[in-house]
Amino acid sequence: MTYKKILSAVNEHLNAEISARYAMSLARACGARFYLCFVAEKGMSRAGLDRAEDAMKRLFNAALAMNLQVESITETGDPVQEIDKIVRQEKIDIVFASTRREDIKKRFYAGTIARGLSLKLPCSVALVRVVHMGKIQPRKILVPLKARIDHIAERAYLTSKIAQDFGAKVFVFHATKPMTRFFHGEIHLTPAQWEKRLPGDISDFIGHIRKYKIEIEGRFSPGATARSITIEAAAKRHDLIIMGASQRNLLSAVLKGNPVEDVLRTTPCDLIILSPRHED
Amino acid sequence: MKINNLTKDEVLRHLLTSESGLTEEEAKKRFLEFGPNEIREVRKTSLSIRFLKQFTHFLAILLWIGAGLAFLSEYLHPGEGMRTLGLAIAGVIFINAVFTFIQEYKAEKSIEKLRLLLPFQVKVIREGREKEIPAREIVPGDLIILSEGDKVPADARLIDATYLMVNNAPLTGESEPVFLNHEPGEEELIASRNIAFAGTTVVSGSGKAIAFATGMRTEFGHIAHLTSAVEAGLSPLQKEIIKVTRIIAFLATTTGVVFFVIGHLIGRGFWENFIFAVGIIVANVPEGLLPTVTLSLAMGSQRMARKMALIKTLTSVETLGSVTVICTDKTGTLTQNRMEVKKIWTVDSQQSTVNSLMKIAYLCNNTRLIDGQYKGDPTEIALLKAAREAVGDLKAERVLEIPFDSERKRMTVVQPSAVSRQQSGEETIYTAFTKGALESVLPLCSHILINGQEIPLDEGRKKETMGAYHSLMDTGLRVLSFAYKEIEKSSKFKVQSSKNKDTVLEKDMIFVGLIGLEDPPRPEVPEALKRCHEAGIKVIMITGDGSRTALAIAREIGLVKGNPVVIEGHEFERMGDRELQEKLSQKEIIFARMTPRHKMRVVSILKEEGERVAVTGDGVNDAPALKKADIGIAMGISGTDVAKEAADMILLDDNFATIVNAVEEGRAVYENIRKFISYIFSSNIPEIVPYLAYVLFRIPLPLTIMQILAVDLGTDMLPALALGAEKPTQEVMRQPPRSPEERLLNLKLLSRAYLFLGPIEAAAGLFGFFYVLNTGGWKWGEMLAANHPLYMQATTACLTAIIVTQAANIFACRSFRESVFRIGFFSNKLIFIGIASELVLQLFIVYHPWGNEIFSTYPISINIWLALIPFAFILFAAEEMRKWVSRKKIRPR
Repeated sequence: MTYKKILSAVNEHLNAEISARYAMSLARACGARFYLCFVAEKGMSRAGLDRAEDAMKRLFNAALAMNLQVESITETGDPVQEIDKIVRQEKIDIVFASTRREDIKKRFYAGTIARGLSLKLPCSVALVRVVHMGKIQPRKILVPLKARIDHIAERAYLTSKIAQDFGAKVFVFHATKPMTRFFHGEIHLTPAQWEKRLPGDISDFIGHIRKYKIEIEGRFSPGATARSITIEAAAKRHDLIIMGASQRNLLSAVLKGNPVEDVLRTTPCDLIILSPRHED
Repeated sequence: MKINNLTKDEVLRHLLTSESGLTEEEAKKRFLEFGPNEIREVRKTSLSIRFLKQFTHFLAILLWIGAGLAFLSEYLHPGEGMRTLGLAIAGVIFINAVFTFIQEYKAEKSIEKLRLLLPFQVKVIREGREKEIPAREIVPGDLIILSEGDKVPADARLIDATYLMVNNAPLTGESEPVFLNHEPGEEELIASRNIAFAGTTVVSGSGKAIAFATGMRTEFGHIAHLTSAVEAGLSPLQKEIIKVTRIIAFLATTTGVVFFVIGHLIGRGFWENFIFAVGIIVANVPEGLLPTVTLSLAMGSQRMARKMALIKTLTSVETLGSVTVICTDKTGTLTQNRMEVKKIWTVDSQQSTVNSLMKIAYLCNNTRLIDGQYKGDPTEIALLKAAREAVGDLKAERVLEIPFDSERKRMTVVQPSAVSRQQSGEETIYTAFTKGALESVLPLCSHILINGQEIPLDEGRKKETMGAYHSLMDTGLRVLSFAYKEIEKSSKFKVQSSKNKDTVLEKDMIFVGLIGLEDPPRPEVPEALKRCHEAGIKVIMITGDGSRTALAIAREIGLVKGNPVVIEGHEFERMGDRELQEKLSQKEIIFARMTPRHKMRVVSILKEEGERVAVTGDGVNDAPALKKADIGIAMGISGTDVAKEAADMILLDDNFATIVNAVEEGRAVYENIRKFISYIFSSNIPEIVPYLAYVLFRIPLPLTIMQILAVDLGTDMLPALALGAEKPTQEVMRQPPRSPEERLLNLKLLSRAYLFLGPIEAAAGLFGFFYVLNTGGWKWGEMLAANHPLYMQATTACLTAIIVTQAANIFACRSFRESVFRIGFFSNKLIFIGIASELVLQLFIVYHPWGNEIFSTYPISINIWLALIPFAFILFAAEEMRKWVSRKKIRPR
């Protein structure tokens, strides 16, 4: 499992530039070729174009300074379609894009570029939400996992490589439903007891991370998923959260809620949401 | 790498801004990207939804079914009064919902109070011009201007600072201001001296800083996030009530279904079975339980308020009784927060040296004496008091002050020395006076004052001083060291606010001595701790003091006896959760040099291990821990508004002993809830048995559903509440905290109510019913109309029998094992008020036309009452006998 080509979508917004910095770090850790891509939408203002071009230049120089093999692409048109073309043409492994605040205000990010990229691109997509500009190199990365996860190898690879480049420690966090019985109600389990019930996928993930020789710690807590994740991140001062994209369909999200969306809204630190596509 | 590690230019590059600030256009764009700089509440279930949820739990659903069946019966057989019953059941659901909601409701305004700590307007530089903008418009990259008195609007990296001092109390809990500078540092972001954090206040100086985190992403926002999002979960009582309601629902449904089938098999009509189904549900459900629990908790909270503990959430009354661990602050809670000078140490023990020491203690002091009242920090007040006693009043004009800050751990002032006034006056000589922690002051000293001579401070003297310092600390004293230095006119009073904290005037000082101060323990605390030990409650001290002082105080007040585990803040931060879990499982543990932000982790780990935790706090950043704990206890005198809002209980006197008194009251409340549950459940049997007899023996129904409600929601209520007011027995605090496995409604309690007390009452009820029927000429198998006077009198007699036996039952339920005569027959006056109210209500039901109308009753003669009263004595005597046997069984041989 490796990323050979990483593309970062850049635009006139500051958070896109910060997102690209995460992508560059990953590219350095993977030894991957790095692509910077700006797609100018129709009707974009001159000032917006200038800002985006400035960002492209800054990032290009920063990438060169990091000894990355870097390529800069500027296109016009619909960002999702254009990036899709580039991804297919260049055989990109993973695309980094930032989510905007206006995206997360929409429920299920319907109609946003972020959702379009997640759904349409044939490669993995990492959506980055930038909220804190003081933690330049994350040292504590929180990785919330649910009981059943797919693409374990890729998730572990991305997490490990980012942790490796930043010299960070990984904290796996599993928020689970409390155990209940009809007449007994909620049954309290200690962390050691929870650990014995650790789902197999999470053990696999931890095993993969250990293979990359990354320092890792696990924590298991019963409670509401999104709330437990943000509380854990705020209480332990984590610098970055890496989590998987929601796999709930629209109906299920309406009925049960969408933890990923909730974390996006209230994350106390930067957040990377990964939609993995690589086969294990 | 974090922003505090960067140089000024790197900061500007990283945040894509400049010394001219952002452009307005860029600021607008960033505002859209990052949102407003404001503190928001984490989205929670709304009050209306929380209220509606009270209508959907198991018991409510069961009652909805009962009400639905009643309305269906009314539809099928109009005019049988089933509509009234349906409405009555719906009323019961509503009453239960309201009372349960009241129990769980807590007015929560901590976020509002947090918001008050942020400014409304703020000065920034944008497009090279200084302007004032609303603080909510600050975005990452904005260049903020800070000056004295300003509140900091966002987390910002300083790029310029001139004598800038801020008060970080909302974040660190430390009231002493700290110096900030703009140099890159290697510390953690939170400890960095080049960051001005949102919510803090500029005490003096000025500076410019670039915002890098706004709103909920600031450190202050994290406190708000945690305060708003963290929940303690259901209280033990709430969990138990859920279990009880599920058991009742199961019992009621099973009984209803089984006897519905039996009724069908023995050939009863569908309509009769319908009445039965509704009746059995109503009879099984103790409708008055939830209102009684709520009212009993309210009474408990009133009693606690009289003991200086103000309860904010009713369920907390009982939760207090279940706590297994109390995490407590030291200063002000275990101690009086009233410093006294206890010991003075100088190397030569000469009075002249002591006087010099006291002179420094006087002059290097910010306490003000206003109208004979000392105003200032308790430590400084104690020093000034002692110094005035030793050297009298001194006057000197202060020309410079380097205030105390927690990093430097010392304070220095410069004043014209007394010697200079005696000289010509042209050459003024100044003296710098320093006081602070020994590890901060001693390295500045090159000499030591001995017998009026300034002797070079060699290693031997240093060791001797360190030894004295440690021995003073080991006796629980807070120790300060004192030094001075004369400065010639040519010296510059230059204060460097850079990384080089040692100023010119603090070099080569003359060490004078040490003063040990004591914050005396509160006199009630040792006894309170003893009670905690007896009650099996572990007490953990969490203090900002050093470990030696903390340990000495802990020993003095009896908190620890052996060699406890002592963990200091820096060790704590390095420990993994598992290691901390292991340490916390030790019998005695003290946390020293801790900051309030560490508390939440301690509380979380204890809770994860199954402990029920009470934690004290007073600062803004105590709020998350107060929310996380089962019981958050805020200090009423010294506590911030934020802490008080986040807490479940407020200590009006800040006294640890009050917590222990409240725990005792909480344990008594739980015991009392069990007592009135026995009482309430006992009356379920005489309510159920008539229905079973009705189905099995084809007799007229001995008790109507409305009469059941008259007992459950009427006559039982006040006596049950009187049981809720039973005083705590001495035994309450001699037992370990109840196990989480211990059920509120356990088999023992249920057997006593359902198999012992209840059957006696059922026998009385059926006796009354048949006594009236037989004396009225009724023949077995004869069915009477619902409005037949004889039938109505018979049901009235059955109801009266239940009331009469319940009047005796209230005495029976006052204890589980002790004889009523031993606990004092008249010791709870409310019992008699309860019985009186029960009887008055019954008289109304039996003899008032309205009572007859509503409950389908009919007046009965005094003879019937007299025939029923012996059952009350039988029940009382039988229960006293049972208790006697029970006591005999457990008595050690």
